[in-house]
Amino acid sequence: MGTSSDAHLSAERIAAAVRQYEVERFYYEEAALLDAHRYEEWLALFSDDAHYFMPIRRTRMQRELDKEFTQPGEMAFFDDNKMLLAGRIAKLQTGRSWAEDPPSRTRHLVTNIRVISDDGERLEIESNFHVYRTRLKSDEDSWIGVRRDVLRRVGDSFQIADRKIFLEQTVLLSRNLSNFF
Amino acid sequence: MSLTTSDIDDFVSLERGEVDRRIYSDPAIFELEMERIFGRAWLFLCHESQIPEAGDFFAAVMGRDNVLVVRQKDGSIKAMLNTCAHRGNAVCRADEGNAKNFLCTYHGWSYGIDGRLLGIPGYKNFYAGELDKSRLGLAPVAQLATYKGFVFATHDSTAPPLEDYLGTTGRLGLDLIAARGDMVVVPGIQKFVIDCNWKIAVDNLFDWYHPQVTHASAFRSGALGPAPVRTGEYERIDMSGVTMDSGADLDLSVGVITASKFDQVVVIGEYGHAIGGPTTSSSGNVEPDTSWRFTPEAKAALGPVGVEVAGHPSIFPTAWVTVVPNQVSLRIPRDPTHTEIWWFTFVDRRLPPETRRFLVAIANRVFGPAGILEQDDGENWSQATAQSRGLASRRMKHLVNMGVGRGRIVKEHGLARIDGLTSEHGQRWTYHAWAQWMKGTSWGELRAATIPGEIL
Repeated sequence: MGTSSDAHLSAERIAAAVRQYEVERFYYEEAALLDAHRYEEWLALFSDDAHYFMPIRRTRMQRELDKEFTQPGEMAFFDDNKMLLAGRIAKLQTGRSWAEDPPSRTRHLVTNIRVISDDGERLEIESNFHVYRTRLKSDEDSWIGVRRDVLRRVGDSFQIADRKIFLEQTVLLSRNLSNFF
Repeated sequence: MSLTTSDIDDFVSLERGEVDRRIYSDPAIFELEMERIFGRAWLFLCHESQIPEAGDFFAAVMGRDNVLVVRQKDGSIKAMLNTCAHRGNAVCRADEGNAKNFLCTYHGWSYGIDGRLLGIPGYKNFYAGELDKSRLGLAPVAQLATYKGFVFATHDSTAPPLEDYLGTTGRLGLDLIAARGDMVVVPGIQKFVIDCNWKIAVDNLFDWYHPQVTHASAFRSGALGPAPVRTGEYERIDMSGVTMDSGADLDLSVGVITASKFDQVVVIGEYGHAIGGPTTSSSGNVEPDTSWRFTPEAKAALGPVGVEVAGHPSIFPTAWVTVVPNQVSLRIPRDPTHTEIWWFTFVDRRLPPETRRFLVAIANRVFGPAGILEQDDGENWSQATAQSRGLASRRMKHLVNMGVGRGRIVKEHGLARIDGLTSEHGQRWTYHAWAQWMKGTSWGELRAATIPGEIL
C-alpha cells in the first residue's frame, strides 16, 4: 500500500540527506583550511562577487530588536569583497603581520547546519560556529555565533557567494579580529 | 599606597622624557586617575546626530560611571547617571534606542526622559506619600555642553566651560572633523577590549614612528590600496643594524614618514590636549584628498596652522580624533590593564549615497578590531603593559625621549606648535599633563602648569 509514494518520499529524503552531507563536508573542509592557515585555498571557496560581512551588534530592548545589528552600508567589523579578503590574506603573508606571527592557534567548530532554502543552484545555509583561538603563552579568545551563507552549486561542490557572521558579543571581548570566520 | 606630589613628579620626567612604568599597572594609581582625571575632566560622550529625536538615548561612560545621554522634548540634551535613586539598579540596560520613560526593573521606580522621578509603586500605601520625589530623580552630570555637535560632560561642577577647557588645541582637533561639512555619526559604534593600560593606547595616537613597523604588513600587502607615492627629494630613515628575527633586513621602503625636516608638526595646549603627525603638505600625509581644507569656510575654521595639521589630535584624556577616516576613538579605562576602545565614524550628511558608502567602507577596513591597521596595534599595547609590570621590569622607564629638549615651541595664531621631524613631543606633553592632573590641584593651578613653555 502506497509503495510508490513511500519510494518517492524516500528518494526525496535521501536527496536531502545527501545534500546535508555535501554541505557539511564542504564546511568541514573549509574549517580545516582555516585552521591549517591555508588561506589562499580558503579564498578560492568564495565567488568573485562574494560579500563577507560581520555587523556590529547592540544591546537593544526587545521592542527594538529589529535594530540589533548594523546593516551593510553602516559600520561593521568586516564588510569585505573578495578583493579585500585577498588583501587580508596578502597581509598575513608579508612576513610582517606581527599579530599573527607567531600565528594564532585556531579551531573552527561548525555545527547545527541547516538548509534554509535550495532552488537547485542557490542554497541558503545557516550554521553555528565556535572559533577558539589561543595566542602566545596563555591568551585565549572564543567567538560563538551564527553564519548565514548563500552557497552556489559549482560542479559537485559549492561556492560561498555571501556570508553574514553574527557574533554573540556586543562589546568584542578580544583585542583584535585577525582571523576569519 | 598614598601618593604625594613629589611621588607624582617622579613618575614623569619632562626633561629626560622618561615615564615610570608603575603607572601602567598600579591599582592605587588607577584609583587616583579615576578621581583626579576622570572625576574632573570634560569627557566625550557622543555626537548630537546619534540622538536626533526626543527620547533617543545613548549609553556612555564617564570613568566608571555609566551615563544616559538623552534628547529632551525641547531639543536639548541631558546626561544622567544610569542608577536608580532607590537601590542603585540600572534604569536602562540597552546600549542605545528610544524611550518614553526609564523603568527600574527592581522595584518599579520610573523616571521621565528628563530624569524626573514619576512613579513609585505603593507611594501612598508604603511610603505614606512622604518621599520627596523631586529630590529623587536620576542624578544629572555636573555639567554638560556641546561643541559643534560633540557632546561632552564632566562630574566637576567647578570645571571651566567646555570651550575654555578644549582651548584652541582641543577645538582645532574637533574642527578637523566639524569643518568638513554637516557631520553625522554612521550607525554602529565598534567596541572592543584590549588588555592594556589606557595610557599606552593614548600615547600611541601621536606615534608616527610606529606605523611603518607595526603596520608594515598593511603597507606591503597593498590591502589599503596603493602604497603612498613619494615625490621629490626626501631623506630616508636610517635603518642600519635593524634586522628581523630571521636575520633579514626590516625593509621600510614603504612607510608614512621620512627623515626629512619639517615633515611633522606637533601642537600642544593647556590641560594636555595635543596634536601630532605630518603636515598637510608633507609626503607623510595619508589624506588622499586635502582640497576640503582650502575652502573659505574650512580655512576660516582651521586657521593657518590648522590647515597644515594632518596628524592626530588628542582631547585629554581619552578622545582621539582621526582625520583619515573621520573618526573619534575613545580609550575607556576599565581597570589598570584593560581598556575599551570605541570608534565613532563621521560622514557629511550631504554626501551622495555612493560616496558615503565608500567612506564607510574605508573606515571599516582601516580601523576597528579587524582593521587592516588596527589589527596589529592591540598586541603591542598588551605586551607593553604585561612586560612592564614584573618586579624588575617595572623598575625600568618607558622612553618618550625622541627629540627631547629639541622642540622649539612657536606661538602663533593662538596655538603653540613645534615644527620638525618625527618626535615624541606629543607623548611627552600628554604624560606631563597627566602628572599635573594627578596632583589634584585647583583648575587655575592645573592650567598654569600645562601652559606650553619655550622648549619641549
